[in-house]
Amino acid sequence: MNTSNAATSRARPATASLASSAKVKTFVITFAVVGTLTYCLCLFFNWPVFTYHPAVNRVEWFWGPARSGEGPAMYWYGWTATTIIVSTIAGFLATLLPEGAAKKIPIILVWLLPILAIPYLIWDLRQWWFHP
Amino acid sequence: MQGGKPVDIISVPTFWTIWLLVHLILSVGLLGALTHQAVSVTMPVRKVAGPGGFVTRFRAVPAAGYATAVCVMWVLTFIVGSYIYIKYRTYIRIPIEQAGYWKTQGFFDFKEHVASIGLVLLPAYWFFWKNAQDPEYDTARRMVTVILCIACWFLFIVGHVLNNTRGFA
Repeated sequence: MNTSNAATSRARPATASLASSAKVKTFVITFAVVGTLTYCLCLFFNWPVFTYHPAVNRVEWFWGPARSGEGPAMYWYGWTATTIIVSTIAGFLATLLPEGAAKKIPIILVWLLPILAIPYLIWDLRQWWFHP
Repeated sequence: MQGGKPVDIISVPTFWTIWLLVHLILSVGLLGALTHQAVSVTMPVRKVAGPGGFVTRFRAVPAAGYATAVCVMWVLTFIVGSYIYIKYRTYIRIPIEQAGYWKTQGFFDFKEHVASIGLVLLPAYWFFWKNAQDPEYDTARRMVTVILCIACWFLFIVGHVLNNTRGFA
């Protein structure tokens, strides 16, 4: 067995494919960066694009409180939908930027922001960690 | 659907247990693929003379070929998880809160946040792997893959523990 890293971990050159497009690169990087930020903002400001009430199978736009006799309200679906909508729009708008400007979006943010988001998420859930 | 009453040919608990098992099977596939990939990018096999051992073979997989499958499995696992979350929210979470398992509940909420952030990383992850020949993306590809792998293990373990806390079946 004679195995090299190139043989095991690297794909064939993605010439003339979707994956080699500069616009796709701009879109995916913007989607990841804006998506992570938007999700954290959705949690902080409580911005679900809709609220789901599972016990009565009812959906209402934006944030809605749990009502007496209707069971709990679920916001996670709405936060995730907000995140996907905002990051898709941001990614699309970024592809309209001149190539020079689009190249300035730092790739490092794609993986650094999720790592930085972890302490914030832990803090955001403090009500459960410190519940008496 | 009423709790415990038969619905057509299967009972409600059986219906949700089947979906939970589908969620489990998808997550196991995802876990395996991401673990192979993460090991292959963090400890790549440079050159092996003679037959390699288990660890060598484990990390000497054609990792780039897993990228699309990982994206598809993450999305499918996410969708099925989102579906069974409805049942969790109404029938599992409330008793967990009544029993005072606050940290258990906290870990579930953490799980849902991690799953969503993982979801938004998928397009970039796919792009980095489809351009694996480009050294510009080496660090980003390695880091995103490791992050998704750790996230997947976290999601899997928390889901497993929660199921043990108050399973569907």
